[in-house]
Amino acid sequence: MEQKTPSKNNWLMTIWRTIRVPLLAILSALLVGAVILLVSGADPLKAYAALFKGAFGNANYLKRTLEKTTPLIFAGLSVTFAFKAGLFNIGAQGQLLMGAITAGFLGFAIKGLPPVLHIVLALLGGCAAGAFYGLIPGLLRSYSGAHEVITTIMLNYIAINLTDYLADGPWKDRSGTNVIARLPLIEDSARIPFFGPVPVGFIIAILIAFIIWYMLERTNFGFEINSVGLNSHASRYAGMKTKLLMTSALVVAGLLAGFGGSVETLGVVGRFQPGFNAGLGFDGITVALLGRSNPFGVILSSLLLGAMKGGANVMQFDAKVPHEIIDVIQSMMLFFVTADLVIRKLFRIIKDTGGEVTLTAGWGQK
Amino acid sequence: MSKKFVLVFSLIIVASMMLAACAKPAPTPAPAEPAAPAEPAAPAAATEADCAKPEVICIGLVTDVGEVDDKSFNQASWEGVVAGGKEVDAIVNYVETKDAKDYVANMQLFLDKGYDILVTVGFALGDATVEAAKANPDVKFIGVDQFQGEVVPNLAGLIFDEAKSGFLAGVLAGKLTKTKVVAAVLGTDLVPPVVNFNRGYVAGAKWVDPEINVISTYHPGGMDVAFTDPDWGATTARQAIGQKADVVFGAGGKTGNGALIEAASNEGLYCIGVDTDQWETVPEAHKCLVSSATKAISPSIVDLIKMAKDGSFPGGNYIGSSALAPFHDFEAIITQEIKDALDEGLKAYDANAITLPEK
Repeated sequence: MEQKTPSKNNWLMTIWRTIRVPLLAILSALLVGAVILLVSGADPLKAYAALFKGAFGNANYLKRTLEKTTPLIFAGLSVTFAFKAGLFNIGAQGQLLMGAITAGFLGFAIKGLPPVLHIVLALLGGCAAGAFYGLIPGLLRSYSGAHEVITTIMLNYIAINLTDYLADGPWKDRSGTNVIARLPLIEDSARIPFFGPVPVGFIIAILIAFIIWYMLERTNFGFEINSVGLNSHASRYAGMKTKLLMTSALVVAGLLAGFGGSVETLGVVGRFQPGFNAGLGFDGITVALLGRSNPFGVILSSLLLGAMKGGANVMQFDAKVPHEIIDVIQSMMLFFVTADLVIRKLFRIIKDTGGEVTLTAGWGQK
Repeated sequence: MSKKFVLVFSLIIVASMMLAACAKPAPTPAPAEPAAPAEPAAPAAATEADCAKPEVICIGLVTDVGEVDDKSFNQASWEGVVAGGKEVDAIVNYVETKDAKDYVANMQLFLDKGYDILVTVGFALGDATVEAAKANPDVKFIGVDQFQGEVVPNLAGLIFDEAKSGFLAGVLAGKLTKTKVVAAVLGTDLVPPVVNFNRGYVAGAKWVDPEINVISTYHPGGMDVAFTDPDWGATTARQAIGQKADVVFGAGGKTGNGALIEAASNEGLYCIGVDTDQWETVPEAHKCLVSSATKAISPSIVDLIKMAKDGSFPGGNYIGSSALAPFHDFEAIITQEIKDALDEGLKAYDANAITLPEK
């Protein structure tokens, strides 16, 4: 069924061809997880049921799942956008931190602004910080040839230590008996509100995903980004400013990650505190790979990961399953998706005409 | 096709069995135990579903980011909950926090089930615990390592007097030294508990004999390296030993451990660990490790749980007991005279008869 596709215009088939590998990867990972649960003496069905309940069981659980999904969408879009230009943005974590702390600073330092204006200002600040933090590896990559994988990894460390310093030094919360390294609470006027159980940040994330999709698929800029990603030599030969394009791809990637960090600070945590954004940028890589570098795929895979994160504590509470199993399942998903040859061999998907994704130009290519 | 699927699935299952075989020892023992010892203890085999009933006591624990078997605060707290649960016939359960944003949600899991006592571990959960305690006045909260700025009647912040256990370590060192020189290798002086350990240690040694020379050295680096520098700890211990020190107190995470291990590599020296019974955590130092200046987290939690049951639960700050860890292999050299000195010192300390040095 999945091999011969007579009707090319059948969009259902196209979608199926695109999503079958990630879908099978998810199923395989869940299966492996079930076996591990079984071997360790737990009931996999009970565990997964508790996981599902914890993710969507009531309005509170749903709210938490969406809260956890939101930063993943931003981080996933960030990684995706860089992928499209053939760049591997390992730095989403650092960019996200810079956005989160900037928004947190603007959130508490400015007083007396009307709510919407304050939120917008803090968001803009966070985006700018993230974008700046993407500009550095962008320039380094384009004009000195330093590989973005190396520079963004290093910049992550700088971001972690810089934010730690700020949170324990000049911007530290000095109120009351506080001894913890963290910023003061943001003003109420900077808080991103909820729409029922749905965080407004989540709605913004969906909108941004649409905008990114439109940008990549329907604009000249997107076309040029894509062609640089496919073949930068040919693009330069065709007259595109490849250096500028690569730089701007990382700037946009940084902006998206910084946006995610800001929404996290203003909508979920309410202040910047070291450790509260741990791993979000790296999960963005998982999300982007699982979502096949497609903005809508990113939304779906973020929801999946967000649900798993949201439901994990109920799973541990109700089914007595350690939450590490979630990490195992998540890693297996990533493993099956990146090693999609394994899935193709396993499920006899010989040729995949519809869903081919070039992820990055990789090492050694310029 | 179906044949292929069978093949595929069996392959996956085999692969994951191998995986599970490796992964098994870590995750399984921890979650299996909490339910087991508690359930038979509860009358008429009460289960978690009965937590809402007033006659059934349920105790929940929320860890800081980390696991209950971390050989540190989380583990000690959980051991306290299990032991305390046995004392009062309670059902006990825990949730490990994976994401710092889930503190509140994890507490809510227990509150929704009608738990009676909630233990939260680590100062990072402080704010969330205060809020939850105010919102749930009928539930007793125990915040480990959470200093209380204001008194919430149903919340006890369990904190420790490091100077006290440091003092006992100092008395022990003062009694054991033959050269009249003892050393302390310490993490940074940026952290008050570390400084307090040393203040107590110096006071304790001098209390035994004012002639005793105490060589205390703080790590000069910042927070990022002060507790993770065993090489510096070892070098500093070696220098102190070169100046005739024959008892080394190592207080400062891995830095202190480095000092302990260095002392163990010399003949005839004694060393004293910190925080937990380091006999369990630093086996390399068995040759010299007489005892450890511990924060008695588990016994203090047991005490608080008992108080919660009999209605004498203290709101505000509760200073947990500080004590020396068992002497293990060194039991034979700890004479009655030394034990008497420790008892006497403890009495003097509790009577505020000891003046601590500034640093």
